[in-house]
Amino acid sequence: MFEKLIDNSMAKSPWIFHVNAGSCNGCDIELVSVLTPRYDAERFGFRLTGTPRQADIVVVSGPITLQTRDRLRRVLEQVPEPYVVVSLGSCPKSGNVFKGSYSIDGPLDKWTHVDVSVAGCTPKPEAIVAALAKATEILKEKRKEMRK
Amino acid sequence: MLPYLGKAMTNLFRKPSTEKFPVGDAPQAAERYRGRISYNPDVCVNCGMCMRVCAPQCMHRDIETLENGDQKITFTFDLTSCTFCGMCADFCSRHSITLTDDYMMVGTQPEDFIVTGSFIKKAPPPKPKLTPEQIAEMKAKAEAAKAAKAAAKAEEPKADA
Repeated sequence: MFEKLIDNSMAKSPWIFHVNAGSCNGCDIELVSVLTPRYDAERFGFRLTGTPRQADIVVVSGPITLQTRDRLRRVLEQVPEPYVVVSLGSCPKSGNVFKGSYSIDGPLDKWTHVDVSVAGCTPKPEAIVAALAKATEILKEKRKEMRK
Repeated sequence: MLPYLGKAMTNLFRKPSTEKFPVGDAPQAAERYRGRISYNPDVCVNCGMCMRVCAPQCMHRDIETLENGDQKITFTFDLTSCTFCGMCADFCSRHSITLTDDYMMVGTQPEDFIVTGSFIKKAPPPKPKLTPEQIAEMKAKAEAAKAAKAAAKAEEPKADA
């Protein structure tokens, strides 16, 4: 009985943890603008948290640089199951213009499962909102599967 | 105090500035927005300029030779690797690459981000075989033309004098 209540409540408030894995700040700014009054993702319960231990959705931006690689892995290990990884922009999926650089160790698929990806350099806030909405659906299914 | 009160009253009756987006349709992108790549293989001439100017090397070309000597050329654009700088569209002499205003590039599978198109490049027709008589005729024609030219040249200085 309580499980259902908890699941329903958690589906309505997916908290986001944002990892900057060497991003140029373009995607980060767009993600923050999603939480401003104009796009207002908080009306769907999204909220940026300060710690990965409370997160349901991990948003990764930037190609995975050597400096951020170990920190990214440490963050992902702390996130409780089930969680959804959203790759923001072109960088985490391919490295974008930094492809083949000596200082990046991507793509993100190498380190974790990528559930939703948004293309764009940078993506528009509307696209990010759509990706987060898709992420919540996936999160709901993952939670349902875990309960079985 | 009064101006603030007036502002507060007007704001009370204004519609909210929040976009309703996930509920309704996505708003239109700005004019000349560079979004999803569209590729028209029918006008492509396979010059490969787009691949040269692409900084993140987001496109690749597969050339497959068919049985009759024709080539099947396939261009594949990976949108998760694209910076949307628009250089490929700028350099495309046939305007076969354009950047549309579709910015909703959200997906769960890699196939959602692939734009591809292919066309057949016809092999040149085989050279026609000439008979010895035809060759001799062509040679004679060329000789005659040469002689006529030389004669015209010899006459020219006389005309000047």
